[in-house]
Amino acid sequence: MTSAPVLQISDLRKSFGSEEVLKGVNLTVQRGEVVVLLGSSGSGKSTFLRCINRLEEPTSGSITLNGNSVTASNANLRTLRKQIGMVFQSFNLYPHLTALKNITLALRLSLGQTRQAAEEQAKHMLAQVGLAEKAHAHPSELSGGQQQRVAIARALALEPQVMLFDEPTSALDPELVGSVLEVIRLLRQRHMTMVIVTHELGFAREAADRIIMMDKGEIVEEGPPEQLFTAPKHPRTREFLKHFTGR
Amino acid sequence: MFLENFFDINAIIYTYPLLLDGFLLTVKLVAVIVPAGIALGTILALIYALGGWFTKAGFILYVDTFRSLPPLVLLVFIFYGLPFLGIQLGSFASAVLALVLNGSSYYAEIVRAGIVAIPKGQWDAGRATGLTRFQTIVYIVLPQAVRNVVGPLLGNTLELTKATSICSVVALPEFLRTAQIAQSHVYNPTPLVFVALVYLILLWPLARLVSRLERGIATH
Repeated sequence: MTSAPVLQISDLRKSFGSEEVLKGVNLTVQRGEVVVLLGSSGSGKSTFLRCINRLEEPTSGSITLNGNSVTASNANLRTLRKQIGMVFQSFNLYPHLTALKNITLALRLSLGQTRQAAEEQAKHMLAQVGLAEKAHAHPSELSGGQQQRVAIARALALEPQVMLFDEPTSALDPELVGSVLEVIRLLRQRHMTMVIVTHELGFAREAADRIIMMDKGEIVEEGPPEQLFTAPKHPRTREFLKHFTGR
Repeated sequence: MFLENFFDINAIIYTYPLLLDGFLLTVKLVAVIVPAGIALGTILALIYALGGWFTKAGFILYVDTFRSLPPLVLLVFIFYGLPFLGIQLGSFASAVLALVLNGSSYYAEIVRAGIVAIPKGQWDAGRATGLTRFQTIVYIVLPQAVRNVVGPLLGNTLELTKATSICSVVALPEFLRTAQIAQSHVYNPTPLVFVALVYLILLWPLARLVSRLERGIATH
């Protein structure tokens, strides 16, 4: 039996007004695979990620998660979104709730867990990201790195089939980036399926199974990190890598 | 001469039971109108935030209408005008209806402004974890929005509390009305002075609090 892909995206298009930001993107992600999306800002990476759980409504194309259509008009979005964890550049923690309650909210409302079960699960998740002692802290009392780890715990608590990371370290001070990447490495060891948009090239090279290079709403090149970093074929990839490693 | 006319203790002692009834009726009006106004205003703001263009247009129409109409005009129309349409409301019901329509339009606009000021990322986070739009607004957006507009909400509550004194025109024996009746009993304006002082003493701390909250928000 061949393993079915977790995510299958074909000919995904998205326009904002007359501007087409995704021009027919195809991507298949296997179970346990870590895919990193690279590209300069405005290349459509974030929009692509946000279309996967339909925070942005795709203009056309199809997306399936474990064979279930996400893009069908009768798709049960709530059920599907619980299976797609998402981590945002700006964390988007709920500032009026403690770290614990940030996690239990969806457990209670989306999964219908009891308060006790949700709190147990949330504490377990916080311990996994190394923040067990911060359960009762509000986001404003946490560093950026800690906030992002709580946000990751919040997404993981729903036990998703795939995790989407939208520039998870871009809003962090350099010294805090490591703690967040460490958590993502841990998830990789546990064979979590992940799609990551990042500008951390060193991390991409080390953690990705496959790198996708996007430019102007299209995939221009893809392949294993070694191949892409040492022998990039597309001129845009070369230019991008030169620009970033030259910093 | 001045003291006799404006601070005649005997006039208060003589009319005290009447004034107390009036005071209690004003408290009762406030206790009905303020919660009802906040509840209706919040519901309208939720409908605005969750609805399409049609409900948004309805919201704007409601808010603009009842913020433009002077509450006294609204009250007189409801009490003296509606009976011609076969709708006869008592003075208490008319007063509550007029001030809830007026008050809720202000509360609705305040809560709406609070809701739209919450960053879009909060909606994203709620919906990405499988919450409905309604759950997202109730559990995530609204609590933050209300916190940010506590000052204006209290300010409107202060205005609404004071506005209950217009109910004296529909012969509702609230605080001001009973003072006018008391005045005619004792041929002396002291009861009016007394009512003014009670309003001042009770509402001054609230006015101070509103100023402080609004300054706090300005320096944020």
